[in-house]
Amino acid sequence: MKRRRSLFIHLSYIRILAKKFAIVILFLTAFALMLLNKTESVILEKTSSLATDLVSPIVDLLVVPARAIASVYDYFGEIKEVYKDNQNLREENKKLLNLYDKMKVLEVENKLLANLLNYVSPPEARYITARIIAEEGDAFSHSVIAYTGNSNAIKKGQVALSDRGVVGRIDKVGNMYSKILLITDINSRIPVMVEKNRVRGILAGDNTSIPKMVFIPLDAELNIGDRIITSGVAGVFPSGLPVGQIASVEKNNVTVKPYSNLNSLEYVRIVDYGLEGIITNE
Amino acid sequence: MQDEMAESVKSYFQRLTPMCFSLLLILLSYIPLNFILSSNIRPAVGLVCVYYWIIHRPDIFNLFSVSILGILEDILSSVPMGTNLFSLLVLYMLLLNLGRFFNGKPFIVTWYGFAILSFLTLICKWLVVSIYYSQFLPFVPVMFSYCFSVAAYPILSLLNAFVQNYLIQDEA
Repeated sequence: MKRRRSLFIHLSYIRILAKKFAIVILFLTAFALMLLNKTESVILEKTSSLATDLVSPIVDLLVVPARAIASVYDYFGEIKEVYKDNQNLREENKKLLNLYDKMKVLEVENKLLANLLNYVSPPEARYITARIIAEEGDAFSHSVIAYTGNSNAIKKGQVALSDRGVVGRIDKVGNMYSKILLITDINSRIPVMVEKNRVRGILAGDNTSIPKMVFIPLDAELNIGDRIITSGVAGVFPSGLPVGQIASVEKNNVTVKPYSNLNSLEYVRIVDYGLEGIITNE
Repeated sequence: MQDEMAESVKSYFQRLTPMCFSLLLILLSYIPLNFILSSNIRPAVGLVCVYYWIIHRPDIFNLFSVSILGILEDILSSVPMGTNLFSLLVLYMLLLNLGRFFNGKPFIVTWYGFAILSFLTLICKWLVVSIYYSQFLPFVPVMFSYCFSVAAYPILSLLNAFVQNYLIQDEA
């Protein structure tokens, strides 16, 4: 009887020890994963992409009823605005048709001048439209997952655009789903410039909705509302893509409000400009 | 014989229910909201689920469930791999030591407990991620996320309570 009791005590003691040991092992695993992530290990990257590919279809499935409910709500919300929108669109269409004519003339003129100067034009872009199936936004990271289909054209570092401008770049590529790092994420660094005076800088995300423009020359003349476009430095993003406009200019702190509404992305265009840049898969 | 087998399958299903439901809630929290502030107001669903189930049913929601939830969050999010696992383990450790003070208490006390423990967990996560990036992350979004998680706790715990009351039976 006494022996059985002591065996029971031993077993429960071992159980407690094993539990504590498991917690320590899991903490060590978490730190090891973080360290591996820091070293940008290819194995971890591939495993992570594979895992995203496995989990994303479930989120994709859950999105369908959520989208249906949201679309019914939006339908009734937007029905009031239709007449006003229609009038605005007609006006806008007139302006755009004028601009289109001017653009066509300029395009021909540009081609002729480029031929005259033997200018080598950048490679033609290829577009892939992808649907956003999951978005993550909290204090620690800003990213979205897009359904890119079985496309081999998707590569790490490619630009993701909305209808208004740059939203981010491809961070992880899976077989069917890819993770896009938004320009507001703390890991995002984009070479940009001010459109009007070509002042260069880096757009650095800080996990808030308004990223900062850093590494700007001290004597740079910046004003609120100035358009910010990509500068094309480093060869990851092509130059001239609209990013946002300056929201505030303070001493050592210039913030940029992105043109794209990063909270309501439904579709993005992933653009392959054939630029390898400094980001590669290997 | 068949009854015994059915009973054991049912018991097995019931043991997995909290983890599966928590997984579902986490996956749902990643659905695009198309809402103006959605990039900052997503509640920390993982923290709420771990807190709720460890407080109410520690017998069926264990370290294994916590690790699975942490790994799933790591896969879905863009934070450095292992960060979410770390934060859920911190909460688990805190609950192992302090959980008894909130167990079986009125809802307001458990809510208050969540407010305290999730604050400590998010601070730990903020510190670890800041060390990882070698720079302090903005603190305001962390507090914003914290406040929203605390505000969302009653709704999320209500959903969990529904599962607990209707899908899980107490073992005799």
